[in-house]
Amino acid sequence: MLNKLTSLMEEAVAAVDSCTDLEQLQEIKVAYLGKKGAITAIAKMMGGLSPEERPKLGAALNQAKQAVEQAIEQRLLQLQAAGLSSRLAVETIDVSLPGKRFTQGNQHILSRVVEEIEDIFLGMGYLIAEGPEIELDYYNFEALNLPPEHPARDMQDSFYFGESMLLRTQTSPVQVRTMEKMRPELPVKVICPGRVYRRDDDATHSPMFHQVEGLLVDKNVSFADLKGTLLVFAKRMFGEEREIRLRPSYFPFTEPSAEVDVSCFVCGGKGCRLCKGSGWIEILGSGMVHPKVLSASGYDPEQVTGFAFGMGVERIAMLKYAINDIRLLFDNDLRFISQF
Amino acid sequence: MRISYNWLKEYIDITLTPEQLAERFTMAGLEVDEIVWRGAELENVVVAEIKNTERVANSDHLTLCQVYDGCDMLQIVCGAPNVAVGRKVALAKIGAKLPGDIKIKKAKLAGIDSFGMLCSSAELGIDPEGTSGIWLLDDDLPLGVELADALGLRDAVIVVELTPNRNDCLGMLNVAHEAAALTGIRVKLPQPQYRENGGDISQQAAIIVEDSKLCPRYIGRLVKNIEVGTSPAWMQQYLLAAGMRPINSVVDISNFVMLETGQPLHFFDYDKLADHKIIVRQALKDEMMQTLDGKQRQFRGEEILICDGQKPVCIAGVMGGMDTEVTVETTSVLIESACFAQVPIRRAARRLGIPSEASLRFEKGVDIEGCDFASRRAVQMLCEYCNGEAARGSIDVRIEPAPIKKIKLRQQRVNQVLGTQFTQTEITEVICALGFPIEMVNEDMLVEVPTYRQDITLEIDLIEEIARIKGYDKVPVTIPSSAAQGQRTSQQQLLRKINQLMLAHGLTETINYSFISSKEADRLELPPDDDWRKSMAILNPINEDQSVMRQSLLPGLLHCLMRNLNRRNDNCAIYELGRVFLPHDETVQPDEIMTLCCVLCGQAPSSWQSAGEKYDYFYLKGIIEDLLKAAGVNNVLFKREEYSFLHPGRSAAITVNKKAIGYIGELHPEVAENYLVDGTVIAAELDLRLILSLADLLLQSKDLPRYPAVNRDIALIGDKYVPAAEIEKEIKRLGGNNLQDAQLFDLYEGAPIEAGQRSLAYSLLFQSKERTLTDSEIDAAFERIVAGLTEKWGLKLRQ
Repeated sequence: MLNKLTSLMEEAVAAVDSCTDLEQLQEIKVAYLGKKGAITAIAKMMGGLSPEERPKLGAALNQAKQAVEQAIEQRLLQLQAAGLSSRLAVETIDVSLPGKRFTQGNQHILSRVVEEIEDIFLGMGYLIAEGPEIELDYYNFEALNLPPEHPARDMQDSFYFGESMLLRTQTSPVQVRTMEKMRPELPVKVICPGRVYRRDDDATHSPMFHQVEGLLVDKNVSFADLKGTLLVFAKRMFGEEREIRLRPSYFPFTEPSAEVDVSCFVCGGKGCRLCKGSGWIEILGSGMVHPKVLSASGYDPEQVTGFAFGMGVERIAMLKYAINDIRLLFDNDLRFISQF
Repeated sequence: MRISYNWLKEYIDITLTPEQLAERFTMAGLEVDEIVWRGAELENVVVAEIKNTERVANSDHLTLCQVYDGCDMLQIVCGAPNVAVGRKVALAKIGAKLPGDIKIKKAKLAGIDSFGMLCSSAELGIDPEGTSGIWLLDDDLPLGVELADALGLRDAVIVVELTPNRNDCLGMLNVAHEAAALTGIRVKLPQPQYRENGGDISQQAAIIVEDSKLCPRYIGRLVKNIEVGTSPAWMQQYLLAAGMRPINSVVDISNFVMLETGQPLHFFDYDKLADHKIIVRQALKDEMMQTLDGKQRQFRGEEILICDGQKPVCIAGVMGGMDTEVTVETTSVLIESACFAQVPIRRAARRLGIPSEASLRFEKGVDIEGCDFASRRAVQMLCEYCNGEAARGSIDVRIEPAPIKKIKLRQQRVNQVLGTQFTQTEITEVICALGFPIEMVNEDMLVEVPTYRQDITLEIDLIEEIARIKGYDKVPVTIPSSAAQGQRTSQQQLLRKINQLMLAHGLTETINYSFISSKEADRLELPPDDDWRKSMAILNPINEDQSVMRQSLLPGLLHCLMRNLNRRNDNCAIYELGRVFLPHDETVQPDEIMTLCCVLCGQAPSSWQSAGEKYDYFYLKGIIEDLLKAAGVNNVLFKREEYSFLHPGRSAAITVNKKAIGYIGELHPEVAENYLVDGTVIAAELDLRLILSLADLLLQSKDLPRYPAVNRDIALIGDKYVPAAEIEKEIKRLGGNNLQDAQLFDLYEGAPIEAGQRSLAYSLLFQSKERTLTDSEIDAAFERIVAGLTEKWGLKLRQ
């Protein structure tokens, strides 16, 4: 009997070891250890044994059962592992295929540049002010120290709707409107982005374009403060290494007035095609608010001073993003807009 | 203004190079465009002498010349008629480069070798309109010397773009004052001195100014017995450097004095002035005069005319008349040095289309106190270079001189405005360098401003002078101490959010002109009385396509779409955020309304995994719904509505609380055709002013549900024209408090459902805040919904 048990156990272990799938393994388990299994059958014969033989067979039986169960357990783990890895092998994908596209639209480069400028000045404590695009002659010219027949009105050929109404030629009227609204509060610290219009149309001029105007009016605001403010702007907009240079110029509504150049961000100031060899690029106009403009807006120029600056968004976008024709900005070709 | 470096040195001993001077000018506010190097282009052009000539046998115009350049004898074939033995000429040797990119090479003419070219003044670019034939030079020029040196042609012309406040620099003397301020070197003013032996002018001429507003000052001087010839070479060079052509000695003197002083002059032929009389008056309407260019000019009545005893002889400040023009026969000249009102001069020059160096200066304003100097300078030069005889004195008709302008300048104010710490001495040094007399009154300075600096009227103007002469680079860099919070207003934030939401939904932003064609109304098939037809019209548009202010962003976007489709950008999802202009009447500013418009055509991008979704009404509606949700706008209803430009069965008004805030729909096929678009176009436009006012962005948290939710699906069959939105609303009403949501998940039309009917399937979500719902409660609600819908619209449960 013991011999039979040993050979059964060896037979079972061999069967387990050579079995190749889980179903077969289950069948083997049933065939040997199940209710009607071969090893179970031997256990059922225990009753007919002598008390001396019984413990021996009992011990041998346990040993055999354990050996077979252990073999099955081991094989089970082996087969499961093999099964998983073959499934994973089948499930392999081409990871180099393109991923899903989540379609994003493209922001127009001009609106992006306006946001960049806004964010820089918001960071310096400026509010964003707005004003009408169809403006009264008074705000667009007169309140800005440009009386009728002033020769500087020629610099800006305008679109008119009547004697006293026109498409604003600059965002500067928002300066006056903001001061009128805020007086006598201090400080007046705003930027005014928006569309402006002049009667020009060629590769460098568009009849409609965008400006951002800046204004700070307070006690003891100086020309030196203007320089400092514009230097911060130039560095944030064009890079930390940038320097600025102010050149005297003329705007009727500022005095002293200055054109502002930034050191060339292509060549770093050594001279290149973009800066026409000078190392400097003109980016904006600025100056101290003219006393007449302060008076016209309800502030006493002896008590407060201020500075103002204005920049062309198209010019800045064209410089920064190497765009050579202003008309591309209003042509709205999706192939162009999606480059940015 | 073209500033000749050589000419400037007549008045000030500049030690700076032209480049250095140009840099100083730019950094002081006279922006230099370029420096033109005169004479530099004439390399290898030398003075030579024609030693022998002989006709070329088989040619009717060529001459074979032997030319000596002081070193070699060269054989040159020349086609000019005026070659003559013994004359000095300009010889362009082999290797010379002439203006217009002409390179001189060894050539063969009529079979004869030619080793260079004899040049005309036009070919050398010296006088672009010079006469034909080679240029015969003065006999005393040294042989073999470079022509540019022999003639003193080398000069640097500093071309300055003047700002409108610095018209004083339209005269070389004032440029010299500017250079003096920048260098500290003194100006040497010319001193016009001459003998007055031509009798007393008051016996020989009369001047009447009818309206001193039109002509605040008119000075006449008389020079007799002049000989009209050619002006000296140096004067011709200065005129050419300044961009004017030498004509004859008299005209050249007139131009020279204008360029020197900034004061335009007019010379009349004295003998042709009827009654030897000058009358300055306003033109009569429709009055006529022939100007010296031979044209008949008709006046509107606002021009200023100079007349003699009988008729107009000159349009003041603009152009002289034919009859009294100075010619080679002229022997006596009446010099006009005057100051005219700026506006009529500008208008006349514009309207008659004859702007000139003179009108340019008059319309910008000349120095009333400079008239006399200019007239004396002209007399002196006519005496000196045309052998004239000056009459004694002048006739000077003028308004009272303005009191001398004195401005108080405070040191503390200078430093406060500039943020500098200039000392009193530093400030006075600048004022003195400018040549402005200064006196001290207690702590402050009293500065006298010369009449030629009309731009300086206030203390702030003097402060600017100090800053620009010291140099803006001397101003320190500081940060303003003004404390303020920078932030977007809630409306600005919301607009930005809308922009980002559009981008996130795959739409691309465009920026279109605010002005459109008046024909867009027709392209949109708008009815004759539509408000959009009454847009604000620009009085002076550049062209018809940009002539009226838009009341809708749609036309701009449709043009944008058309352009993109033409360029094979087949799938377009575009939008614009911009203002529209709703007119009141002509005298009032319009309402400017922030508006959003979206236009879709084609399909969403496809990939290897899925075909792109076709853009249709529901695609765009979903975007608009997301937008309104993000903006916190509730109670939105899409209501069937017809628009002339939209598909009548596929268009809706977008309403909030029964108020329309925009439209959405498929473009009417006829309108699409008007815009040359072939395909389905979906458009929506929203008035953001209303959205910003309706936006409810206050968010409050709610408790999460604690009891289980139960899902039930319901499918209903019925009339397909019952709006789904109404059905959904009714389901929610009938479902009671425990029905949390009802979502459409299927729509079906077609067999076996009969025509005119459709099936709508909703997923219902039941959940209570207080307890777990029982099956019977949910069954009851479900039955209630079915019964209610059947009763209201005859909808039946789909089996």
